[in-house]
Amino acid sequence: MTTTTISSTTEIRDWLRERVAFYLERPIEEIDSAARLVEYGLDSLYALTLCGDIEDEFDITVPPTLAWDFPSVNAIAEQLHDQISEQRLADR
Amino acid sequence: MRYGPYAAAARLDERLGDPQDDGRLFSYARCAALDEGEEFPLEICRELDFLGLPRAYVPVEYGGTLLGYDEALQLMRVVARRDLTVAIGHGKTFLGAVSVWTSGDAEQARRLGAEIAGGTIVSWGLTERDHGSDLLAGEVRAVPGPDGSGYRLSGEKWLINNATRGHQLCVLARTDTSGGPRGFSILLVDRRTLDPASHRPLPAVALHGIRGADISGVAFTDAAVPATALVGTEGGGLEIVLKSLQLTRTLCASLSLGAADQALGLAVDYANERHNFGRPLVDLPQTRRLLTESYADLLLAEAVTLVAGRAINALTGELSVSSAITKYFVPTLVDRMFPRLAKVLGSRALLVGDTYRHGRFQKVQRDHRIVGIFDGSTMVNLHSLVNQFPALVRGYRRGRVDLAGLQAAATLEEPLGAFDRTRLELVSRPGSSPVQALPLAVEELCELAEAGEVGTVVGTLATELRAATDRLIEQMAGHRPTALDVPAEVFALAESYAACFAAAAAIQLWLRNRKAFGSDELRHSGLQNSELRHSELWYSGLWLEAALTRALALVDPTLRTELSGEVFDRLAVPLFAQHASGRLLSLLPYPGEEESA
Amino acid sequence: MTAIDGHTADRAEEALPTGYLDTAHPLETRFGDPDDPDNPVGFAAFLRADERGELLPAGRSLLDTYQLGAEFVPAAHGGRLRQADELAQTLRPVFRRDAALGLGHGAIKLIASATVWSTASTDHQRWLAQVLLRGGQAAGAYTELASGHDLTRSTVRATRDGTQYRLTGSKEVINNVNRADSVTLLARTGDGSGSRDHSLLLLDMSTVRRDRLRFLPRFRTAGLRAVHLGGVEFLDCPVPASAVVGELGGALETVLRAFQVTKATLTAATVGCFDTQLRMVTRFALERRLYHRSVAELPHVRSVLANAYADLLISDCLSSTVCRALHVLPGQTAVYAPATKYLVPLLIQESVDQLATVLGARSFLREGPYGIFQKHLRDLPVASLAHSGATVCQATVIPQLPRLARRSWLSGQQPAPASLFRLGAPLPELDFRRLEIAAGAEDSLLAVLPDAAAELRADPELGPLSARLVTELAALKASCTALAPRNRTPLAEPIGFELAERYSILLAASACLGVWRHNQDHPNPFLRDTAWLALALRRLTARLGLPVPPGSATAEQRVFTELVTRERENRSFDLAGRLLA
Ligand SMILES: Cc1cc2nc3c(=O)[nH]c(=O)nc-3n(C[C@H](O)[C@H](O)[C@H](O)COP(=O)(O)OP(=O)(O)OC[C@H]3O[C@@H](n4cnc5c(N)ncnc54)[C@H](O)[C@@H]3O)c2cc1C
Ligand SMILES: Cc1cc2nc3c(=O)[nH]c(=O)nc-3n(C[C@H](O)[C@H](O)[C@H](O)COP(=O)(O)OP(=O)(O)OC[C@H]3O[C@@H](n4cnc5c(N)ncnc54)[C@H](O)[C@@H]3O)c2cc1C
Repeated sequence: MTTTTISSTTEIRDWLRERVAFYLERPIEEIDSAARLVEYGLDSLYALTLCGDIEDEFDITVPPTLAWDFPSVNAIAEQLHDQISEQRLADR
Repeated sequence: MRYGPYAAAARLDERLGDPQDDGRLFSYARCAALDEGEEFPLEICRELDFLGLPRAYVPVEYGGTLLGYDEALQLMRVVARRDLTVAIGHGKTFLGAVSVWTSGDAEQARRLGAEIAGGTIVSWGLTERDHGSDLLAGEVRAVPGPDGSGYRLSGEKWLINNATRGHQLCVLARTDTSGGPRGFSILLVDRRTLDPASHRPLPAVALHGIRGADISGVAFTDAAVPATALVGTEGGGLEIVLKSLQLTRTLCASLSLGAADQALGLAVDYANERHNFGRPLVDLPQTRRLLTESYADLLLAEAVTLVAGRAINALTGELSVSSAITKYFVPTLVDRMFPRLAKVLGSRALLVGDTYRHGRFQKVQRDHRIVGIFDGSTMVNLHSLVNQFPALVRGYRRGRVDLAGLQAAATLEEPLGAFDRTRLELVSRPGSSPVQALPLAVEELCELAEAGEVGTVVGTLATELRAATDRLIEQMAGHRPTALDVPAEVFALAESYAACFAAAAAIQLWLRNRKAFGSDELRHSGLQNSELRHSELWYSGLWLEAALTRALALVDPTLRTELSGEVFDRLAVPLFAQHASGRLLSLLPYPGEEESA
Repeated sequence: MTAIDGHTADRAEEALPTGYLDTAHPLETRFGDPDDPDNPVGFAAFLRADERGELLPAGRSLLDTYQLGAEFVPAAHGGRLRQADELAQTLRPVFRRDAALGLGHGAIKLIASATVWSTASTDHQRWLAQVLLRGGQAAGAYTELASGHDLTRSTVRATRDGTQYRLTGSKEVINNVNRADSVTLLARTGDGSGSRDHSLLLLDMSTVRRDRLRFLPRFRTAGLRAVHLGGVEFLDCPVPASAVVGELGGALETVLRAFQVTKATLTAATVGCFDTQLRMVTRFALERRLYHRSVAELPHVRSVLANAYADLLISDCLSSTVCRALHVLPGQTAVYAPATKYLVPLLIQESVDQLATVLGARSFLREGPYGIFQKHLRDLPVASLAHSGATVCQATVIPQLPRLARRSWLSGQQPAPASLFRLGAPLPELDFRRLEIAAGAEDSLLAVLPDAAAELRADPELGPLSARLVTELAALKASCTALAPRNRTPLAEPIGFELAERYSILLAASACLGVWRHNQDHPNPFLRDTAWLALALRRLTARLGLPVPPGSATAEQRVFTELVTRERENRSFDLAGRLLA
């Protein structure tokens, strides 16, 4: 599934929280967007898989280390939003 | 219930002292150092002599304490659990003497019994440099002495345990130049009385494992041996050896059980100590699985050994089958356990020296490799099973079962009858009672499952086992007996049959002892001791379910992917409880220090 | 039985370089006949050195004269490292004789330097190249005894202090660390347990202050007894800030890249050990007499030998292909390298255990003509663990599977190009920096399986075999897609590990199919023939626990015949089949 319109940071954030909740098998309410992913036990290797999901969802290419450099849901969401906006602008 | 042989074993263990204490003679530290220096564990063997272990190698009728072979097995397991070099170096005397127990005359046996009780070391010389399994190719020969009395012995035996240290040596020698099945005899040679010029030891060989053992050889040149050295009849050598091997091959399982005890114990220890990803390794599901599968294998091996060990007394005529299976199945199962447990231990499985537990894991893994090789190798045992296919097929189809014998072999409460050596047979005419009783036993299990006394899964597994056995027997029937050109696939059938036997033995063991070990009363008695922990294993057939799951995958490897591994997760509770209590990882309660006193 | 016509499509490919196959590898020639008891670098000498626990001095100087160090230095820096599969071929003659020498005086330099080649720090690269080119020693101090592979939890710390870093803490079980000229050190430069808290430092050991450095006593292992495992403890030890290689906080990323190269190459090199063991047992079976015939005449012994040979070929197909994939498919090797490092040692270990049942008592003796067998037996598990054990490799594969399953498998993925499989054919130079730290959405090696299966449909033997494996791939796809999230983490239930194993097996099957179909112009008819491929696929099918479709009985026989021929002609058992010394 790919999005045609530019998702808002909030939409991206919610989607990410949902993914993290999915991986952790915890209710989405328990995922704090500001917390560092490692604190949830999302080990570095496994954080790499999140990037695959992101690429598939938003049809963009991200560095596999995205979740290392932007280690919380908020940080990733902001970064993604910027990247997607830039890309869509360029595509126009 | 308390099982006698385990109590005896626990007493021996206690008297040997804490192996973790470097001040004990039989300590892990000393064994590691001896291994590294390739030194024979002389002082430890002497300690075992002081504790009277040699008498356990001598049947009561010849002055020793050996009554039931199940006890001998458990005693050996205690020793093997600390160190295989010691177990093999010391226990060899039983192998050296066994020909006399099975076939010697009473006077000869009593004399040898007294010697052994006094510390005499006996070895067993079958193998020659150019001839291993092919006993009939042996070149060591015994010709009549010049005056017609006694023998003159010449030639080399090589790769012989304690060949240099041993005082006496049971030699298989060619007494008829043309050889053949009646061309060999057993001579009990007392090397202390030989002319020193007529024999010399061959240097000890450097070994991969049991590095401290004395595996060497002896060369005879016209050595004068008295006529009284002959064991049994002239020309009876091969038969004596084959019958004696039925006892020793069964007893070898004790070495494997002891090795498995060590390896699994080390792995569980480590999994508790080590943290990964912020939690102890035992909490990682994959690590738990590696441990619990190994535990299931250990329990399966123990079940086979218990039944096969008691079968020496109780199903003597079927030993040619049960001993070959035990000697193939148990060491192989245990050899395969090591790589699995090594995954848990990571680099600690490989380190030598004091960095981690005296490097015990790598040592026991190396040491144990010999168990599958000597005393009849894996292939030889499987071949001997293949040769008995016709009887096994017939016996299964006819449902032939020695009910009393089977009952005695499997019921631990029942005292064993005396061992009757005249019932030993070169091939088992009746086949194998445990396997042939499978259809009955499966019915019994299914009824219990219906009655809710055992998990329904157990009934299902047993039914699958029955079906797989039926299929297997048909395949075995399709094999046209051939002397040597046994196709590879037929060896695979023999392996499957061995796994059927193991499963069948486990079922018998559970059925005949479930009340004693797993009763409801015990479960709800609020007891916090080892019996209670074992009750959890027995109650509702938990260990049996695990053992059957393991065995079934061996009977028919294509079933492997369909079998659920969930039972192993349930096995974690008793495994960790047993381990935490510091007791033997076992099907049966093993008395602790306070309880055995 | 020869190839199906479709494969001639590869004629367009450059001709296979094959002339070299009838000469021994220069290193083989230098080592000479390993069985000669008087050869100072023969088996007997290596066995004695193993007993003493030292790297055979004559072996070391032979490698020094050959300037083996240059093999680990990229050509761009003046070395001879161009192609990973070639490097493995160069290491095989060494591993055939002694894995301790091969690792301790060879491959360890790759482990120590690959991380440096994977960064952009040209100054460091130039310096390390000089060290290696002049025959110096390099060590890689990455792991610690208490945290093992979990590098994020390693504790050696580098604290910034003006123009310096101060090092504290210790690294244990580090190969050659106390004889090294250079040490590549992984140290904590941040406080978190995240993936950006560690950096690599390249230490010039001649300048490190000795009063701030302790060398730990030697660690000993059951195998590779000759390898020098030491440790270092840093006592507030100052090093220049310029020691940091690559980006600050970039260590983990670099390691993930670099270790793909070491995993693939080392695994391919260990095929050399396996070669020797198979050779020993083949010889034993041919020479030993039993029941008035040779042991090799026993049908089950022939079967064990033929199957072991098939395992060797599988191991070579997979590991060499993955070495080449580092060049051809650098975006995918993040999953191929650990899959290979997991499966190949397992295959070899189980196969060698079977071989031991044939060798019998001689598999247990440290002396005599077969004494080397037990040495290799001890060496292999140690060499396999040396920088990532089985569980860790599986754990690396698992999280990558669901996406590959969803996006690539049986979903129109193009199969890998022929160049991936062309034995010994030249490739563009190895570029460490092109390697991705996680596989993306493509899996073109695995795509060879369905592609080849479609083409082989009509083949009476290979058709049903490959079709069965494709069915299994479909099942694997379903299982991986449905894999519960928790099973994609280190806390994965055994199902995750099981799937990683099944994946590795199918990958091996793909590699075998690829090697076979794309080398139909190989001069050795055996490689073009279907016998080995059929046997290999049957082995892999059985390993998956699947019923094996009945096949021709002659496949095993033909493989056995080739085994004996190669032993007689003194050729290596691997795909190359090159002449030995
Ligand atoms: C540490 C150690 C201690 C030992 N102690 C003693 C001892 O105290 N006394 C003693 O007499 N011997 C002893 N042995 C020797 C040991 O029992 C023999 O080595 C063993 O019986 C196997 O013989 P082999 O290894 O020479 O193999 P061989 O008999 O030469 O066989 C070679 C191979 O042929 C195959 N093969 C053999 N027979 C068959 C068959 N029937 N069917 C199918 N395949 C077959 C097997 O794969 C086998 O490995 C000892 C050996 C060791 C290593
Ligand atoms: C010969 C040799 C040479 C070496 N040379 C070097 C060197 O030069 N430089 C260097 O830095 N290091 C070196 N090492 C160290 C080597 O890299 C470590 O031994 C390695 O990191 C293994 O660590 P470990 O044994 O602590 O186990 P780890 O691999 O850390 O694992 C510990 C345990 O965790 C388990 N485990 C891990 N992940 C999971 C999971 N997801 N699920 C379940 N269980 C899991 C493992 O199975 C194991 O039981 C060498 C080691 C050897 C043997």
